[in-house]
Amino acid sequence: MMVSAKAPLIRRRRWFPSRTFYSAAQTEMELVGGGSTQLEMDLGEPAPQNRQRIIPAPAPEPADQGDLFGYLAESPEPTPQIEFDGMAKPVFAVRLADGREARFQHAGSLLESLESQDIHIEYQCREGYCGSCRMKLREGHVHYTTEPMAWIDDDEILPCCCIPVTPLLLQ
Amino acid sequence: MSTDTGMAYTTFNRNEFDTFSQPMFFGELVNVARYDQQKHKIFENLIEKQLSFFWRPEEVDLASDRKDFMDLPEHEKHIFVSNLKYQTLLDSVQGRSPNVALLPVVSLPELETWIETWSFSETIHSRSYTHIVRNIVPNPAVVFDDITKNEYIVRRAESVTRYYDDFINLSNYYIQLGEGTHTVNGETVEVTLRELKRRLYLTLVSVNVLEAIRFYVSFACSFAFAERAKMEGNAKIIKLIARDEALHLTGTQHMLQIIAAGKDDAEFAEIARECRDDVVAIFTEAAEQEKGWAEYLFKDGSMIGLNKDILCQYVEYITNQRIGALGFEPVFPARNNPLPWINAWLNSDNVQVAPQEAEISSYLVGAIDSEVDTADFGDFDL
Ligand code: FES
Ligand SMILES: [Fe+2]
Ligand SMILES: [Fe+2]
Repeated sequence: MMVSAKAPLIRRRRWFPSRTFYSAAQTEMELVGGGSTQLEMDLGEPAPQNRQRIIPAPAPEPADQGDLFGYLAESPEPTPQIEFDGMAKPVFAVRLADGREARFQHAGSLLESLESQDIHIEYQCREGYCGSCRMKLREGHVHYTTEPMAWIDDDEILPCCCIPVTPLLLQ
Repeated sequence: MSTDTGMAYTTFNRNEFDTFSQPMFFGELVNVARYDQQKHKIFENLIEKQLSFFWRPEEVDLASDRKDFMDLPEHEKHIFVSNLKYQTLLDSVQGRSPNVALLPVVSLPELETWIETWSFSETIHSRSYTHIVRNIVPNPAVVFDDITKNEYIVRRAESVTRYYDDFINLSNYYIQLGEGTHTVNGETVEVTLRELKRRLYLTLVSVNVLEAIRFYVSFACSFAFAERAKMEGNAKIIKLIARDEALHLTGTQHMLQIIAAGKDDAEFAEIARECRDDVVAIFTEAAEQEKGWAEYLFKDGSMIGLNKDILCQYVEYITNQRIGALGFEPVFPARNNPLPWINAWLNSDNVQVAPQEAEISSYLVGAIDSEVDTADFGDFDL
């Protein structure tokens, strides 16, 4: 059973690109019968609901928000660009050779950022292994958040699994 | 291995050698299946990924497909069943041929295991077709028996298997007799390593075409049915197959690019350069055949959302994409994807853009890797 003494820490969990919601917490909640959830998931047999629900005492606010970016990046939402008030934003201009422009503000990937600004790039896996999203990088640098597996040329990038670290010019 | 006496295939090569000095093919035969040192780490990554994709057809519930199928008009039944037959052919070939053709000449353990892992996943695809067929017809034999009789399928089988067979043929002689001019059963057989490499290169190209283009006409039809909420169980299976195929495609692209770059075999790179026209011919021929297939599929009528012309445009579009990835110029006029909605279906994890799509239980396997204390969510509304 979960204990409330734990520090109020949101552990890193890995959201799969799936926009289906599942998590360890939820599974555990279901299994111990403690969860009421509006999320839908397929766990096979319905979980027994007859055990007592333990509601942990409210934990004090964490002094340090920690890796807020990391946390938000793991949001199960189809990550749109996120606006922060009063914080320096790592914003990079992203230009396309055909003249279209966007700005990468904060999104899970360059692909998601472009999509949220109505620039649609071909995709399939969204995880760097199919190569569908391949683009030419004419100027700038990117950082891969997932090691790309698809074959790309030296001057190409896979926007589904990278983020810009400088302004970009793409083709 | 000596080229005079042939490779004299052995299942456990006793020679000592530095794996980093070995090419992908035609070097030393592999001995220890070890993965601590990898000349091409990509194949190890592909193995890991493919293993993480493991799925079983029976996990996908096809109950509603049966009724959907009964209600389809005849010309749509024809489209559905014909595609199923063609996919069955393709995966029958792929479930064995990479093993039979490539394993006897492979020289790197990670590549050897990738080939086996790849081919194994194709057998899952084949098993899924039996699962689908059993569900829609009382006697699966009426579907499967037609695959070797139907002239449209047979014609395509010929071009799918030709390169494999030509390579395997010569490779067998090479393994037994080595390079040279031999007389076998009264026939003269000329065996050179260079010709073998050429045939291997063309085989890899034709496999790339098989996995990257040939499947996609079927995929498009399956997803077009599912867009209308028909045959959705089938579409789930196709998503899982498409996910695997994307990985296989990446695997052959890497092999072809490593060869072309001359990274581990300079002669092979030269052969790749000589074969550029053949590559274009293989892609173009396959695209034309797929367009012909689209015509056969829609001979008695189109299906909602898809007709022969759009499908042919899609074949051209995807052919350009695939050949472009290998560093070639497009072979058809440049165009945008004529079926943009297909991306969401091809993305196996994306359930949001296809809201009618139910969840597939296999996605839960391994998806959970740490815990979250529920107290911590506070006001967060998940
Ligand atoms: S969408 Fe597959 S590599 Fe980017
Ligand atoms: Fe397959
Ligand atoms: Fe495949």
